[in-house]
Amino acid sequence: MSSPNEWQVDILEAAQQCVYCGYCAVCPTFRELKWETYHPRGILDQIKMYYLETTKEELKSDISKSLFDSIFACTMCKACENICIADIPLLKIWEQVRQESFKKGRWNPALLSLYNKVKDTQNIFGLPKEERVSWAGLANMVMTKRTQRKAKVAYFVGCQASYSGKMEGVAASVIKILRKARVDFTILGNEEWCCGSPVFLAGGYSVGKTFAKHNLDQFKKLGVKRVVTACAGCYRAFKIVYPRILGDKWDLEVLHISEFVAELLEQKKLKYTKTIKEKITFKDPCELVRHCGLIEPPREIIEKIPGVRYEDLPSNREEALCCGGGGLLKLNDADLTRQVNSRLIEEIEYSEAEIVVNGCPTCLDTIQQGVKKKGLDVEVIDIAELVRRAIGG
Amino acid sequence: MKKKTRTKFVRYLGKQMKEDYTALQIYSRDMADLPNLTKLLFNNTPDGIILPRNVEDIQRVYNLANETKTPVIPRSGGTTGFGGSIPYNKGLVIDCKGLDGELLIEPIDQTVTTSPSIIFSDLQKKLKLQGFSLCSYPSSFYSATVGGWISHGGHGIGSIKYGNVVDQIAEMQVVLPNGEIKSFSEKEDISLFFGSNGTLGIITEIKLKIKFDIPLKQFGCIFDSPVELMKGLKELQDVDPFSVWFLNPAQVSAFNDSFGYNLPRSYVAIVSKEISYEEEELTFSNNFNNSIRKAGGQILDKRYIMDIWDFRFKTFALLKEFPDFLVSEVILPIETSAKYLRKLAGLFEGSLRAEGELISNTHYSLLLYLPIEEPINDFKKSLLILKINKHVLKSKKVGGFPYSTGLWFAGYYPQIYGKEMYKRYKDFKKKVDPKNISNPGKVCSPKMRFFPLFKLKSIIRIASEFS
Ligand SMILES: Cc1cc2nc3c(=O)[nH]c(=O)nc-3n(C[C@H](O)[C@H](O)[C@H](O)COP(=O)(O)OP(=O)(O)OC[C@H]3O[C@@H](n4cnc5c(N)ncnc54)[C@H](O)[C@@H]3O)c2cc1C
Ligand code: SF4
Ligand code: SF4
Repeated sequence: MSSPNEWQVDILEAAQQCVYCGYCAVCPTFRELKWETYHPRGILDQIKMYYLETTKEELKSDISKSLFDSIFACTMCKACENICIADIPLLKIWEQVRQESFKKGRWNPALLSLYNKVKDTQNIFGLPKEERVSWAGLANMVMTKRTQRKAKVAYFVGCQASYSGKMEGVAASVIKILRKARVDFTILGNEEWCCGSPVFLAGGYSVGKTFAKHNLDQFKKLGVKRVVTACAGCYRAFKIVYPRILGDKWDLEVLHISEFVAELLEQKKLKYTKTIKEKITFKDPCELVRHCGLIEPPREIIEKIPGVRYEDLPSNREEALCCGGGGLLKLNDADLTRQVNSRLIEEIEYSEAEIVVNGCPTCLDTIQQGVKKKGLDVEVIDIAELVRRAIGG
Repeated sequence: MKKKTRTKFVRYLGKQMKEDYTALQIYSRDMADLPNLTKLLFNNTPDGIILPRNVEDIQRVYNLANETKTPVIPRSGGTTGFGGSIPYNKGLVIDCKGLDGELLIEPIDQTVTTSPSIIFSDLQKKLKLQGFSLCSYPSSFYSATVGGWISHGGHGIGSIKYGNVVDQIAEMQVVLPNGEIKSFSEKEDISLFFGSNGTLGIITEIKLKIKFDIPLKQFGCIFDSPVELMKGLKELQDVDPFSVWFLNPAQVSAFNDSFGYNLPRSYVAIVSKEISYEEEELTFSNNFNNSIRKAGGQILDKRYIMDIWDFRFKTFALLKEFPDFLVSEVILPIETSAKYLRKLAGLFEGSLRAEGELISNTHYSLLLYLPIEEPINDFKKSLLILKINKHVLKSKKVGGFPYSTGLWFAGYYPQIYGKEMYKRYKDFKKKVDPKNISNPGKVCSPKMRFFPLFKLKSIIRIASEFS
């Protein structure tokens, strides 16, 4: 483990601060599973039992079984920490318990397989490194000149937009936006490694750290000062995890594509030329809104679209519902992901939106599946794809 | 639990029943983390936990429980601190959160039919989307359930205008301990379940009265003494408030520390009013100012009001710095309790914090918090519990009574709800639960003369002699 001490919390002390108000019942997975062993308050109780020296050794195996099961039923959506009246750093606690389970060799096989894939191939799909830029070919784009060139701005594509057919349009849209605004930018190409987010989420920090170092070295080599990403997971890794791991060495400015577009619109480097008539809503991704506090830029850029009809979902901003796919839950328990997701789909249906815009590949995928399952006539797209339409790209 | 009994339940419930050590521990507490010493008194650890999926599951559990004389303990949000949702002597905890149900809003009748397990904040969100609102709700808004509130005997924000929860129930479905499923719509019947703590069965569906979602505006005032505060509570009734919520001097100090305020150590009240248009606000503001002046109070500077009001669901957060704390609650008459309130303010070296809510024209509820500055051992904690609850019981002298019975105040039902109501309760209980399997040890103590608080007292005395 390579987690610096300063961002580790005294897990037992933190758990003991719980005043048992129960407000963290907002937890989306607890709401589906209903047993209090999955209630964040109940997880803290289990932590107390597990870490207390006075707990008998023979009971620890029962406690750890229940504790590790609960901790991997978590989507890391941060709704619990957001509402916690005692300001307990719950996410740090959950991360540490995941690390503890890693140390004890108690990961489930699906997690281990993901971990090994990422470790060996530097991407979450276990696909060859050389295929990282194949999305460009599919979009009829030539990226050779942009790859590994010196520039102040780098577009970090991320594993999902690079390899997944479902995300095909995301990277191409970002490139269109950057080109239209005449931004001098670079991409890392085959030297882009997974941001490490899935590994961090699983609790395996040592491998994640090598990824962070590699990506930083690449950015530095190319003279990059600003990193743009359209992936909420990469954004969170760069904004929250890299500074913890790399300290002052990580001195790059990180922007979600919505922030960058807002800036480009403000500077008049980008202009909307097309009207979008469909009713639009935006699903705040947990990693953007609760983890990183990114709230207004996506709304700002959507509302500037000519003729736009925009309405927030009933649960929005910090109170946004989780899509169910985060925290590697999709891998651990796909049924639970679907259950959690169905609550969000109900809100989407209520909104009567024709387009659901998003800023996270995991949300995009789970919402697309949920909408299809429910038979809703709703288009689900990334915010970069929406902007591309509005600029006539 | 006997093996044969266990097999009967497991065979029927399968995965809907948990018996592992960890789960049992989690379900052996509620908001009040009891000292280990109480384990000598009660057997708080259940034999199992059941998550029923539907009404039929509950019916079957009650039938099996009757057959095997197994105690059944209903639990929902687990947010009370009166021990109502933890076992008195083992048994099976029924986690009612398993009961999902369709939500049906009837705009013309102004009612909503819901599962009892819905959390208030969720229900309110759904109502607001249709332009409606709950009439009243507890300040445990984000965690308490409707079913738990009825059974606990709840009052809350909005009670002064819309009454307690009984006044808001149009209809209610209950699985009685004898396994019968019954609906109640007469106030007389519904009131039996108010404060019944799950001893009369499990509520499985509720039709609540709702209201239009009228915006609330807040106003604030300060009173130097309990006498002025009581005058204020009386005067304020004339302005038809939605809620009157106040803090005692120790709680005001806690707000000062937390928010960097410099409010005087006195009684601060925040008054909420449903206001639809500007002129109404102006008229109310004048009436409010007059009422406060008549009572001898002062108007609170506007800049504090919203901060304090926005914190109304979070005041427990003011306790997070302390290694431990105790909570209790009492209901007091406006007319005769000023002296008692002053006395409370002086207890525990002035550290006893209190928050009040006007719940009727004659009474207010008072939530008491005692922060514990240094970690203390079990004996000391138990003694403090006794001490704080002794003061709650002393309120009898001024016409007060404990907020609810639960486990801690089992035996106090007649004092809280009156003798006539108690007789009705007992007759009904005998009829529907002759074997006393539904939450035994709550509401009425198993042996009336030795209700739990007194038992705890003797245990501590004996234990401290040995130690
Ligand atoms: C921060 C905070 C603020 C609070 N503010 C208030 C307040 O303003 N007003 C107030 O009244 N209380 C308040 N409380 C206490 C408590 O939250 C409420 O009384 C709440 O309504 C209890 O609901 P619950 O779902 O948590 O019930 P639980 O604690 O689970 O149960 C309460 C009782 O009801 C029984 N029960 C539960 N579900 C059922 C059912 N379906 N059928 C039959 N019996 C059942 C249980 O056996 C138990 O005896 C507060 C608590 C906290 C933590
Ligand atoms: S992070 Fe989200 S899923 Fe995880 S415990 Fe908190 S609320 Fe539940
Ligand atoms: S919200 Fe925070 S303090 Fe309240 S029960 Fe949950 S973890 Fe504990």
